[in-house]
Amino acid sequence: MKTQSILGSAALGVGLGTLLLPAAALADTTVSPATTPVGGTVVLTSTCNPKSGDALFHVTGPDRDQNVRSTTAAAGGGLSAELFTAGFTLGTYTVTATCGDGTSSGSATFTVTPIGGAPAGTGTDADNHGLLAAGGTLIGAATTGALLLVRRRRHAATHA
Amino acid sequence: MPTGDRVPRTAVALIALAGVAGGGLLTLGATRTHPPPPRAAPGTNTDPAEGSGTAPGTPLPHATPAQITIPAIHVHADLVPVGASATGELEVPPPDRPTVAGWYRLGVSPGEAGNAVIVGHVDSRETGPAVFYALSRLQPGDRIHVTRSDARTATFTVDGIGSYPKTRFPTDLVYGAGTAPRLRLITCGGRFDEHTRSYLDNVVVFATLLP
Repeated sequence: MKTQSILGSAALGVGLGTLLLPAAALADTTVSPATTPVGGTVVLTSTCNPKSGDALFHVTGPDRDQNVRSTTAAAGGGLSAELFTAGFTLGTYTVTATCGDGTSSGSATFTVTPIGGAPAGTGTDADNHGLLAAGGTLIGAATTGALLLVRRRRHAATHA
Repeated sequence: MPTGDRVPRTAVALIALAGVAGGGLLTLGATRTHPPPPRAAPGTNTDPAEGSGTAPGTPLPHATPAQITIPAIHVHADLVPVGASATGELEVPPPDRPTVAGWYRLGVSPGEAGNAVIVGHVDSRETGPAVFYALSRLQPGDRIHVTRSDARTATFTVDGIGSYPKTRFPTDLVYGAGTAPRLRLITCGGRFDEHTRSYLDNVVVFATLLP
């Protein structure tokens, strides 16, 4: 009976260990959203156990090498911190997390992008303004010339 | 007297020529209009490649792109690197060079793993239709070729095309950091706002590197 109980406990322990092992192996870091326009905020989340202390997120990228300490317990478990990207150079950044007990919690990347769309068109009617201006100038010159000619002929006729 | 006659005749001829030319330019200016660029259908919030079933090609190493060719709309243009303005807006090629397109140099190069971005003007005040004027006419399956500084040509197939309000630009879809080598082409489209002299939408072409 006692042997059966020990075997049962051992089996239960192995079973629980098998179930828990993937969870431990899944300790990971995520960044949401994975892309943000410069100036936006991303949330860094690690699956570190909050009981082991704050997680430390190490952010590296084009112009940055900084640590961000977790500030809140993530809704789905783990720890998280917000990162404000104002002043960030555009590009891709890597986040690695270290749990409070010193274990690594993996890494993730996020991309800081331009804001909004692209001003890639200005309309086309202004070229007609140039044509109208050139045409008007020529008409004006022709009119002025014609008037001068008429005056000259009148002047010549008067003195003839 | 012959000289006196000749000068007025020459003057009359010049005046008449100026008048005719001026009238012609006025008529041309008053009647010539470029048709508005073709419009694309509203875009969705999902990557068209997800439903295409196209297996992307193997990513290439980084190399500066030099030229883009799109046979379906007769585009063959040089590429210049662009970044972002001080306000964080995507730069576009200089307005006095509407026939070139710009490669977003802070992202990946065409053919690399991830989304490469190329932007081009749809039109220009000075010269009318520009390099990406007909971008909206592209259809899924059309080919886009990008020649690179390593002498390789990355060939992409169009997965889809969509028009997005600039106020709701699909940042994730355009710049998203996936692992498949994809290409995004951007230009302006939609309704033109005469007051701000700008288009209200951006047209985005989604493409995937062919094996």
